[in-house]
Amino acid sequence: MPESAYDPEADEQLGRAFDRRLAARLMHAARPHRGLIAGSMLLFPLIALAELAQPWLLKIAIDDHILKSDWLGLTWVAGLYIGILVILYALRTLEGYLMQLTGQRVIHDLREAIFDHLLRLEARFFDRNPVGRLMTRVLHDVEAVSEAFTSGLFAVVADVITLTGVVAVMLWIDWRLALVTFSLVPILLLVAVYFRLNARDAYREVRRRLARLNGFLQESLQGMTVVQLFVRERHERARFGRLNTEYRQALFGSMRWEAALYASVEALGSVALALLIWYGSGRIVAESLTFGALVAFIQYTNRFFLPIRDLGAKYTVMQWAMASSERIFGLLDRAPGIVSPTATRPRPPRAEAPAVELDSVWFAYDGDEWVLRDCSLSVARGERVAIVGATGEGKTTCARLMNRSYDVREGRVRVDGVDVREWELASLRRHVGIIFQDSVLFAGTVEENLRLGADGAVSPAELARALETARAGFVTDLPRGLGEMLGERGANVSHGQRQLLAIARALVYNPAVLVLDEAMSSVDPESEALIRQAMTGLLAGRTSITIAHRLSTVHAADRILVLHRGRVHEEGTHTELLRRGGLYARLYELQTGAAPA
Amino acid sequence: MKRAIDALQRDAAPVGHYVGLIVLFALVNGVARLGSRFAITGGCQRIESDIRDHLYAALQTFPPKFYAAHSTGDLMARATSDITAVRSLLGFGTISLVSTVFAFIGVLAAMLAVDPWLTLWALAPYPVLVVLARRFNLAVNERAQAAQDQLSVLSERVQEYLGGMAVVRAYTLERRAHADFGQANGEYLRLSLALARTEAGFSPLMGLIAGVGTLVVLWAGGRAVVDGRLSLGALVAFNGYLAYLTWPTIALGWTLSIVRRGLTSMTRIQEIVGAAVETGSVSPERSEGGLRQAPPGFIGAGSVSSEQTEGGLRQAPPGFIGAGSVSSEQTEGGLRQAPPGSVAPAVAPSIRFSHLTFSYTGRAPALRDVSFEVAPGEMVAVVGPTGSGKSTLGLLLARVWEPPVGAVFVSGRDVTELPLASLRAGLGYVPQEGFLFSRSIADNIDLGRDGVGREQAHDAAAVAGIADEVQRFAAGFEAVVGERGLTLSGGQRQRVTLARALAGRPTVLVLDDAFASVDAAKEEEILSSLRRAVAGRTVLLMTHRLRAACTANRVVVLDAGRIVEAGRHEDLVRRGGLYARLWRIQQLEEEIARA
Repeated sequence: MPESAYDPEADEQLGRAFDRRLAARLMHAARPHRGLIAGSMLLFPLIALAELAQPWLLKIAIDDHILKSDWLGLTWVAGLYIGILVILYALRTLEGYLMQLTGQRVIHDLREAIFDHLLRLEARFFDRNPVGRLMTRVLHDVEAVSEAFTSGLFAVVADVITLTGVVAVMLWIDWRLALVTFSLVPILLLVAVYFRLNARDAYREVRRRLARLNGFLQESLQGMTVVQLFVRERHERARFGRLNTEYRQALFGSMRWEAALYASVEALGSVALALLIWYGSGRIVAESLTFGALVAFIQYTNRFFLPIRDLGAKYTVMQWAMASSERIFGLLDRAPGIVSPTATRPRPPRAEAPAVELDSVWFAYDGDEWVLRDCSLSVARGERVAIVGATGEGKTTCARLMNRSYDVREGRVRVDGVDVREWELASLRRHVGIIFQDSVLFAGTVEENLRLGADGAVSPAELARALETARAGFVTDLPRGLGEMLGERGANVSHGQRQLLAIARALVYNPAVLVLDEAMSSVDPESEALIRQAMTGLLAGRTSITIAHRLSTVHAADRILVLHRGRVHEEGTHTELLRRGGLYARLYELQTGAAPA
Repeated sequence: MKRAIDALQRDAAPVGHYVGLIVLFALVNGVARLGSRFAITGGCQRIESDIRDHLYAALQTFPPKFYAAHSTGDLMARATSDITAVRSLLGFGTISLVSTVFAFIGVLAAMLAVDPWLTLWALAPYPVLVVLARRFNLAVNERAQAAQDQLSVLSERVQEYLGGMAVVRAYTLERRAHADFGQANGEYLRLSLALARTEAGFSPLMGLIAGVGTLVVLWAGGRAVVDGRLSLGALVAFNGYLAYLTWPTIALGWTLSIVRRGLTSMTRIQEIVGAAVETGSVSPERSEGGLRQAPPGFIGAGSVSSEQTEGGLRQAPPGFIGAGSVSSEQTEGGLRQAPPGSVAPAVAPSIRFSHLTFSYTGRAPALRDVSFEVAPGEMVAVVGPTGSGKSTLGLLLARVWEPPVGAVFVSGRDVTELPLASLRAGLGYVPQEGFLFSRSIADNIDLGRDGVGREQAHDAAAVAGIADEVQRFAAGFEAVVGERGLTLSGGQRQRVTLARALAGRPTVLVLDDAFASVDAAKEEEILSSLRRAVAGRTVLLMTHRLRAACTANRVVVLDAGRIVEAGRHEDLVRRGGLYARLWRIQQLEEEIARA
């Protein structure tokens, strides 16, 4: 499948910690913020300096003042120490903020880029990728990517700078003592990497088992009736218990590695301390080392061990981040399947051409399950056409092809005599408007919903006229009128009112060709009467194509097309078709005559 | 360490001795810490696991009413994040609280032993630390909540626009969507930066205060050393002790919020587990207990008490005939149908609905005064337009919804008095929506039931008309169904669920519009193999397809919850009522399909 360039199954995959191609793209994504990044980077040496100065001051305090009983000097050093602490506080706060600022801006921009990209992708993509999965990309994967900057890149740079500083100072104070400490580094590295990698693998197992456990639980909740009907409670509970235990064991396992890591690093620290005291004391006795230097050294050793201990954690963060960015870039790389032609030649639409025309169209959503087979139809300017047919005969598909939500497999769809693939997408969709079965309203005010997409100003008078034509007078009775907020999916207006608003919206949108995917399901009779009137107002003097699920609404159409087996089976006016006694006549009887009350 | 340093100062030699002790203590500390962590964490992971098991057991006992009131998302949240919060409370919360208390007691004692006066100096910044940590925590929590709320808004926006892409596309709303999303996205950026501003200062400030504490000790202690009131080793050790206090103090605010969240979550979990105790009548424990008390295999295929056998095979006693809708002649017809020596269990029960009126909570009655009987081995079809109450009949019979007392009887016994497990064990119920688990097809059919082996599963699949298609999958019956496995069509799913019901060799088969997603030809085929398979079983067939209904012994026509007609197919067609009209619709549809 050409669509599989973006692999949705990879949610749990761990990538390499560093991938040059991905890193380059990440850097590119961070380009707009390079000032910020550089700024944060500049802070690191300063912070390292302030950090390193503290043990040094301690050494001076002990060697030059405490041991020499110099009270005044000690106070001076203490003052300096406070100064450094305050500076460090300021630097640290700034650093923390800058890191967050960079990370959050990267998140913000990436989110926008992904969302904008999704807006450009075609309907087929959304058929194959559930909204939940795409939301994970927009909301969560980007967080992992920003971690790559804050916990990954920044932290590594900061650690390297601190480590270098510590090593230099230690060597400078006493290179022999330094070597004693460094002798433990290989062991420390080994321990850190070994335990951390094991912890990571264990943790991955934890996630895998947790996913299985939760998947099982979710499915159980959905299929609880089946479990109960077949008296499988005990069996399912045993299954759940097994998964639960497996999860617990994995969790305990990962905890064990983590705890062992911290414990052994601590033990190594103590060993280092013991070594330092043992070796250092000999040197102090021999007077080749000062007492303060030893104390300072012990403190430097601590600062030396921590970054090495957390190295593994950073490695893991980088891996997650890389896996996430791979998914994100995979999505961003997926080119939109339906785009405006690169060069839209300005063609004067031929006046004599039909408003909309399907010419030997073949279409299938999937493989060769053809929905339309060699389907041809044409709608003249100003004509009101209705398309009828049994469920699943491709009526809605016709509408989707007319505004190029999908592209035909074969044949042509022409609007104003020009192939839709040669139209600029936005102008095509301004030209051919669709009212859907499910009248989706967006969160926002009534007015915002009416103005949706209507470029340029719509005068209040025009709005009022649209509402009146759409019989949506109820809006004025709302507490805040046009300013009333509509909840998610327009929750606080009734189903019927939603449809009236959708009709009003279409009137404001005012397309040259109106396609009406009509549905009056679950609307109370009163609203139905209103909607019918509104529709008459909507269609007056306009090229319109009504996809009718209820034949009672199509009498007034200039022409009725009966779709059957993916092509037009019959056409004519209501009376003609009834007289012919074919498919339409039977459909009509089905819905009106024979239908139970 | 103090002693080592002091020994150093005295130019004494036995430093090696102390060095050994340091290593020893470090090891003891490490082992003790590891041990306690393993014990506590392991223990609370066990508790977590137990809570989850309990929660699951509780969830199994709830009727659909509960699931209608609680969304899957809500229940999942309780089973995931709430349980995690409880674990944090038990694990991190406990460890942190206990170790903070011990750290304070131990360190204070040690510090006091070294120098009481210096201890006072050292603790001076701590009140400030505690107050500040608290204030910071409140501010951080507040801003974190604001950011979190905005993230929900953002996620609603994304969901709304991605969910409504068709409209976005048709009305060229890309620009508005972009602006709307951008606004929410920008607001989230603003709020999370506000959070970052508060948070960024927090830990450096704690560091600052702790540093000042160290400094105070250094300064005041230094003076004491200078004055000769304190040894240098004592000062260094003191500093070390102080460092032990810093982290628990900083973490205290955090710990408290974990404890608070954990307690809230515990309440939310308790709500569910507690509710399960209330609906005790449906609890599996009780039904399993009931299974043991009840005559084994009451309507199941096992041994059947002679009384019931007689009841089942004998002509329905007069009292059994509900509301006169069943003539004894038809009952006999039903019995005669069972071929001799049929493999089906010899005993099929009767089903009787008697003046059954039922409404779902807070709604108009779905069934009104419905009375009819299905004789043992008879097949009765229930037809009617959508919403006429067909499915409700089956749901009440299986007690998925609890029927009123004295209205639904199986073999003359009120279903509400029967143990759930034994009632359902004899019932093969095929619901409208073919729900399949993401397991292998074989697993989906046998459901791990005793006495349902692979062979039975295959046989059942053959009767349900799905076996051939399954064999064509690469993995055959072991093919896994679901998101990451193969996707079955609606018709295939329905046939697998039919096989599932048949595999249990039920004595009663309830088919709730089980062929709705199956095309007419396939339906014919299944029905014909079903007719053989269900011989000798009592069958209740709910359907909107009359082609299936007309093969039944009798047809009951429901409209708006009432029985409007009942009788044999031919009679009903002749009568020209609702059934006749439905029949005409069916014919029209078939004509259209053939056109």
